Amino acid sequence: MKQKKKIGSQNGTVSGKKRGPGIVFKSISGIVLLLVVFSVIVSIIGYNGFTDALLTQYSEGAFLTAEYAAAMVDGEKMDEFAERGPDSPTYQDTWNQLDKLCNNTGATFIYIIRPDLSDYRHITFLFSTINHNSDFTVFDFGYVRETTNDEYREKYRKLYEGTSGQELVLRDRGYIETQPHITAMVPIRDQLGKTTAILCVQRQMDVMTTTRKKYVNRVITVLIILAVLVIIIQGFYLHRVCLLPVKKITSEASRFSKENTAAAEKLTKTIHNRDEIGVLAQSIDQMEERIVKYVDDLTKITAEKQRIRTELSLATRIQADMLPNIFPPFPGRREFDLFASMDPAKEVGGDFYDFFLIDDDHLCLVMADVSGKGIPAALFMMASKIILANFAKMGKAPCEILQEANHAICTHNREDMFITVWLGILELSTGRLTAANAGHEDPVIRQPGQPFELFKVRHDFVLGGMDGLRFRENEIRLQPGSRLFLYTDGVPEATNHRNELFGLDRMVQALNEHPDDSPKEIMNHVRNAVDDFVSEAEQFDDLTMLCLSYNGTEPHPGKEDSL
Amino acid sequence: MTIKVTKKGKNLTVFLGGRLDTSTAPELEKTLQQQLNGITNLIFDLAELEYISSAGLRILLAAHKTMLTQGSMKVIHVNEVVMEVFDITGFVEILTIE
Repeated sequence: MKQKKKIGSQNGTVSGKKRGPGIVFKSISGIVLLLVVFSVIVSIIGYNGFTDALLTQYSEGAFLTAEYAAAMVDGEKMDEFAERGPDSPTYQDTWNQLDKLCNNTGATFIYIIRPDLSDYRHITFLFSTINHNSDFTVFDFGYVRETTNDEYREKYRKLYEGTSGQELVLRDRGYIETQPHITAMVPIRDQLGKTTAILCVQRQMDVMTTTRKKYVNRVITVLIILAVLVIIIQGFYLHRVCLLPVKKITSEASRFSKENTAAAEKLTKTIHNRDEIGVLAQSIDQMEERIVKYVDDLTKITAEKQRIRTELSLATRIQADMLPNIFPPFPGRREFDLFASMDPAKEVGGDFYDFFLIDDDHLCLVMADVSGKGIPAALFMMASKIILANFAKMGKAPCEILQEANHAICTHNREDMFITVWLGILELSTGRLTAANAGHEDPVIRQPGQPFELFKVRHDFVLGGMDGLRFRENEIRLQPGSRLFLYTDGVPEATNHRNELFGLDRMVQALNEHPDDSPKEIMNHVRNAVDDFVSEAEQFDDLTMLCLSYNGTEPHPGKEDSL
Repeated sequence: MTIKVTKKGKNLTVFLGGRLDTSTAPELEKTLQQQLNGITNLIFDLAELEYISSAGLRILLAAHKTMLTQGSMKVIHVNEVVMEVFDITGFVEILTIE
């Protein structure tokens, strides 16, 4: 049970409960208990069988001696012996014969008695001989003594009354004054068959009791040896085959639950059981292997994710920095004011806006949307933005810019990505806006004193889709005080949790709520309207907007510019 | 998104239903990659199509380009919503719509 304590002290408690006795203790104590029960049963059966066999043997011997002795004694002479005792001429002969018999047959005591026939309470000894090896003393002729107990009395009566030919008294338990003994009693009869005296042969049963004691001692000794053997062998066996492996498994499992690292040595390397314990060890090995691998993978994935997240947040900043994002962008120019924002659905997006002065009098405005979302769209967007700006800064017309850009994009576009672009060039001195539309949403324009309205023209095909396309141009003259609103499809297609689209109507309505506000304020109104509409739903697409107010070359009367 | 394909010899008809957007477009792209080989007459039936995003348009464009080299492509049963997208993006200029 040393092992049990060791484990107990190692782990202290098992799931909050105090540890009970170990399996080895339980299993061995069970076997020992069975052994004890078995031995007790065997002892009792053996003891009884032994006693019966010995008793039979003793009694048969005693009766034989008694019959033999009774045959030697003349039943006719009992009255004479009783009267004259040793003075009777044949008394000494008879006594000698009985004495000889007593010493040759292993009897302890042969005696002839006459009980008083009234109540058999007293017996008178006529003859009494003892085995010389015993420490008994003979009772002299005529010695009277009280009958020992009722059993004797009853048997004397039976023998005298002739209802029984022989009787046996066994005294081996309870209180007895001498050693356990057996007394065989036979009647001595005269010629008429009348009982004249009783001859008793007493044999000591010391041999029986000592043999019996020896037998029981032997059983107990064998039991103790067996128990010790069982404890040693079973303990050793269980310890080796059961407890050691189980202990290894428990300590490994407890170690693993704390450390979650691979074991220095696999359990199956030292546990070779082909039983349930072996299966358990194998399962634990496999489980640990898988968990460790899983944790490793998870750590790698997490690290990788962290790396990607870092890169993405960097990419988000790079993309945001690529777009002009300082407002007001041209603080010195009073002819116009503009505000723009891009809000990608993912970290990076495919939408973009752009604006720059081509020369002192021409402002280029771009609103574009790359097909798809995320990193692929963002990469395509970066290239497209640069291509468009490069062609625009060469002083080309919008249709030419789109045509050239389309060719440039198509040349390196195996993934069939495309981009929708609205590109316009505003002549600041006149308000003339020349624009081309490659598959992009219609701009919303408000002339002074009128509401915002979609400015619909026929769209050309998207950029990057097909090479060699030609693009059309349209023109509108913005009056001082006009507003131009550009956007990507993320605005009208913003979706709420009921799967309803925000739509162009709501967008135009939001624009018209405060049509005279500054571009920044107007965009805020639209943004708020979209947010209110979408509410809890996740932003699904990029949201990009640009708003321009054209003030003309001279400050518009009755209207203070926010610049 | 549901995609049903019927193939008769070199004719392939693709029925599209539901929303064709960023999340469903790859499925259509994969289907077309498997089926388009050897086809000379491709028909997209958009009767059940509720919505098409730029990612969906990209797949139609790719199919259109493939069919330019090996046969012809037609888009039929275009509903109002999808038609509006085709209008805005200029796809009406490129695709054969019936």
